[in-house]
Amino acid sequence: MKQILFALIVIVFLPGSSYGQTTGARQTGALPRTSDGKPDLSGIWQVMNTASWDIQDHNAQKSIPAGLGVVEGNELPYTPAAAAKKKANFDSRDTADPESKCYLPGVPRATYMPFPFQIVETSAQVTILYEYAHAVRNIFMGTPHLAGQLYWWMGDSRGRWDGDTLVVDVTDFNDETWFDRAGNFHSDALHVVERYTPLDADHINYEATIEDPKVFTRPWKLSMLLNRHKEKNFRLLEYECFSF
Amino acid sequence: MRSRLIRSFVLTAGVMTAAVVWSPPVAGQASKNRPTIAGCPSVSAKFHPCALARAQGFSPPRMPDGTPDLQGIWDAPLAMGFQNIEDFPGDPSPGGFGPAVSVIVDPADGKVPYFPWARTERDENIRRFIDPYAQCLPTGVPRQMANFRTRQITQSRNSISIVNEAGGHIYRVVYMDGRPHVGPTLKLWMGDSIGHWDGNTLVIETTNLNGRWWYDSMGHFASDALTVTERLTLVDADTLHYQATMDDPKVYSRPWTIVFPLERIKEKGYEQMEEACHEGDHDAAGFVLGGFQPYLGPRFPR
Repeated sequence: MKQILFALIVIVFLPGSSYGQTTGARQTGALPRTSDGKPDLSGIWQVMNTASWDIQDHNAQKSIPAGLGVVEGNELPYTPAAAAKKKANFDSRDTADPESKCYLPGVPRATYMPFPFQIVETSAQVTILYEYAHAVRNIFMGTPHLAGQLYWWMGDSRGRWDGDTLVVDVTDFNDETWFDRAGNFHSDALHVVERYTPLDADHINYEATIEDPKVFTRPWKLSMLLNRHKEKNFRLLEYECFSF
Repeated sequence: MRSRLIRSFVLTAGVMTAAVVWSPPVAGQASKNRPTIAGCPSVSAKFHPCALARAQGFSPPRMPDGTPDLQGIWDAPLAMGFQNIEDFPGDPSPGGFGPAVSVIVDPADGKVPYFPWARTERDENIRRFIDPYAQCLPTGVPRQMANFRTRQITQSRNSISIVNEAGGHIYRVVYMDGRPHVGPTLKLWMGDSIGHWDGNTLVIETTNLNGRWWYDSMGHFASDALTVTERLTLVDADTLHYQATMDDPKVYSRPWTIVFPLERIKEKGYEQMEEACHEGDHDAAGFVLGGFQPYLGPRFPR
């Protein structure tokens, strides 16, 4: 019995072996693949979490469900000045959150807005179409970032395959998006590295490493599952945020 | 790339203030500069039969599944963002739009076959309301295909996506798996698009449109009863014949059809960039100060 228990513990906690781990998620089952052998991530996906309200552990509030954080270790390594700004952001979050003004949500927040998104994959480009505000990301495969600094809401995305993981390097952000409604923020020095690892045909482990030396003392990670929409005839509708 | 970035910035600024200050080249000028496109006259009424005849003799490149390969980034040189879909003599006032040649090929007079009340409402629209596109609202269909700058077509397993650079992040997904449209109470800016192949022609039927957008900057409109049937046919490797037929029994006395060419952007490594439109847009406030109101859809006779 003890041996069985030990074996179970090893399976659950061995780095890289478990479904729920934030790194090195193991794939199971047959993955759909494109004609050039890469995983085919095409389809409509959505998270099942509350990260858009708060990426850290949070209690319920009126109209906001409680949620487990998606940040590895839960704590965010703000510099002292940035921690003060985060607190001020939190205090005025209902009006100060750029998303409350219907601005583009940035990256990685677009991933965990409570709306579906569609991935369209070709060998040269992976396009992500978000239902939220018709936001679009063009992830160009195997090409370098554009020369010079740009200030884009959704950044400049360049992708490559690391085995079966789509790795996307995102730079050239403006400083006008937040990570969540709770006021977690970044500067225009933000650098995001996303890893999309298919676990099976219907689940992708999504991981984003956040680096921003103007705001954080070290890089940090968040991770979550993307779930495929399998409902018959499911399709993207619209949330044209500022038209209401 | 640098020149593209500058151009992108200038055009973005231009689009955001298009209705008030920007005076780009217009359809009439474009056809003067380009007497032919794909060997056909660069006026919609003449391009239409000529390009369809040429398409008969062209064997398009194909996807692995055998369907024609329409993928690429496409410009709409004659449509010029649809300043006016009908003939337009030009507005001599500062910043006014230049002359335009109608893109309507049926009826032959090049005019939208409005019911009389609807023609009056069109006139009223430009006097009283803000072009929804100038407020960064989605273009609807078919203006998406005529809009400034480019759109990218990508063919996937069960769907075809059409993603625009300009217009502040707009796109459409055309589902190709034979599914039915969504229920009639759903209303969408870009509609619900279902496609199929008719020989080498991509046919897209779009319903569930919300009737909140205009076709052009000049108040031409539809209701939420509109059905748009588009036909995209390769004329040669780098030119599409684009056709859209609008049927809206609440607003028009008969269906009507527009045609214009789409031209492939052949620049190697060309990438569509981000255009944020609503984000930081201050034009709407200016329109309101100018006495114009947001457009909320057609006003039917009682």
